[in-house]
Amino acid sequence: MKKFLTATAAIALAIPMATAAFADGHKSYTIGVSNTVQGNGWREQMICAMRAQALVEGDVSNLIVAHRNTDSAGQLEDLNNLIEAGVDAIVLNPSNPDALNSALEAAMAKDIVVVAVDAGVTAEGAYILSNNQEQYAYLGAKWLFEQLGGKGDVVYMRGIAGVSADTDRDNGFKRALAEYPDIKVAHEVFTGWQQDQGKQQMFDFLATGIPFDGVWTSGIDNVIVDAFTESGAPLVPIVGADNAGFVQYLTEVDGLQGAAVTNPGSVGGAGIALAVDILNGEAPAEKTVLVDPVLWENATDGGRATITAAQNPNLDPEWPVSVTVPGWTDYTMEQIIACEGPGDS
Amino acid sequence: MTASLGKHAWVLGLLVLFLVLIGLTKLVQPSFSLAGIESLTRAALPFAFATAGMAVVVIVGGIDLSVASMMAVCAVTAAVLMERMAGVPAILIVLAVGLGMGLINGVLIVLTKVPDIVATLAMLFVWEGTALLILNTPGGATADWVEAGIRGSFLIGWFPKALVVLVVGIALVWVPLRRSKLGLSIYATGSDETAAFRSGVPVGRTKIIAYGICGLYCAMGGLSLAALTGIGEPVPGPYLLASVAAVVLGGVVLGGGKGGLLGPIIAVFILRIIRSILTFLSVDPNVTTIIEGVIMVAVVMLGAALTHRGTRK
Repeated sequence: MKKFLTATAAIALAIPMATAAFADGHKSYTIGVSNTVQGNGWREQMICAMRAQALVEGDVSNLIVAHRNTDSAGQLEDLNNLIEAGVDAIVLNPSNPDALNSALEAAMAKDIVVVAVDAGVTAEGAYILSNNQEQYAYLGAKWLFEQLGGKGDVVYMRGIAGVSADTDRDNGFKRALAEYPDIKVAHEVFTGWQQDQGKQQMFDFLATGIPFDGVWTSGIDNVIVDAFTESGAPLVPIVGADNAGFVQYLTEVDGLQGAAVTNPGSVGGAGIALAVDILNGEAPAEKTVLVDPVLWENATDGGRATITAAQNPNLDPEWPVSVTVPGWTDYTMEQIIACEGPGDS
Repeated sequence: MTASLGKHAWVLGLLVLFLVLIGLTKLVQPSFSLAGIESLTRAALPFAFATAGMAVVVIVGGIDLSVASMMAVCAVTAAVLMERMAGVPAILIVLAVGLGMGLINGVLIVLTKVPDIVATLAMLFVWEGTALLILNTPGGATADWVEAGIRGSFLIGWFPKALVVLVVGIALVWVPLRRSKLGLSIYATGSDETAAFRSGVPVGRTKIIAYGICGLYCAMGGLSLAALTGIGEPVPGPYLLASVAAVVLGGVVLGGGKGGLLGPIIAVFILRIIRSILTFLSVDPNVTTIIEGVIMVAVVMLGAALTHRGTRK
């Protein structure tokens, strides 16, 4: 029994200890981060943007990142742990707008600044900084329907059923659909925001031989182009997000007409910047800050020029191309790619 | 006698390990206090119920891969019902729904003779779809008293309410069952199905009831999810693998017939507090799951070695 305990204690103590805070005239805030989707390019960029921004903010001495695949109950657990860890601010990507209020209210009762990025929370007093998801879907869908001359069948490839961002995007898509009564949805699937799954679904649908005129994707995009080229099917207009791989295809793949709607994961970095501003007493007047998306298309010369300017070969192909949020983030392209936060090196 | 001693030693060992981990938590985070224990207990609640359900079916010699999906069905049912009716009847309906789903799993396994792992894997998708049919996006609401019922402390200043809910919920079903003929039948069936059958144990019925109890515990798990979040989420959480892990760590033998519920429940708390410690130490999140896995394997291996030495004496 004794051996059993010493061994367990040894394992637990072998865990690297966190580096101590440093202070050289700067304040030394500890910021907690909570995120519930791991292994997805967008979220990884968000986390790296948070780390990079925390590194360049002189006042942040430590960043505690709780980053795993879990549900709202798991995020509540992480948030409560961050509160117990004594953080000064929490920046989170909420799994749901309503489910986390108990922990967020507990945090704010302890004067911890709460900033939700990417999606909103309903807790009173929390700041929200996000991409406008409804507008994201509307913008892309409208472009696609215009390309098709307002008439035709489209494949509608969504994200994860039941997730807020997917629901918001669905509302935006439906709003565009209502404006074009002759556009029909030929096929609607949930890709689960998984590359392999989305690709297989497109293979399957191409194999059915059912004709369609365009594809709208919720960000699983470059593999859809792959599915067309690999199966030899004629390309149709495809709408995706500003993932590096897809944006590259827009300039390189012959005959591909498409548009990328920006949805920067770097809002995470903006969230850190906002949290530090609030801690330093420079809170914005509004609790909600919306970052509106932009559409990059390759159907016109002007569009192609914009796309070429935004590209960078060093980026992970699954990361969004827009790596910074102008006016918010201060890190360099190299810093976000390095993905190191304070206390990491 | 040695077997029963071994079983108790295992549970005792887990308890000591848990206390050591609490001490370690206090060491890395001196401000960690009773409030921390309270939020830890709340976080453990859905895991504990899922684990209790899983433990019962593992003891009867099966496995239920649909626990997380059943919890999702129960959570959304609770959130939808509580928006429209009083809390108490809603809770009773949810418990009945959970029991019903578990019984369906059991009947399917016993009647079709499809292996548990295959049948419940299929039902995982069925219940997942059912949850999305009930609520295709997170929503609904829970009664305020349900949310308050698991938050804060009970009577005396420090005892977490969530722990009361957990102990009462699990004991109310398990204690009378364990002492009845049915409880004995569950262990007998798990130990050796053929021997149990020849001794006159109604093996099929026992299995069906064990799966029903699993469903009932999943209903409690779903209710605790709804109470924690105040809404119902149709997408199943990470409770399947976590419950299998806690069952194994808790000393229940995969294959059936051995173990109880206390060990697995303490194991749930151990796994939760390890996550807290790793958060306090701000360990790289990509490394945390590796550490969690390594600790689990190490504890189970050490335990197996100790048990082996114990039985040789």
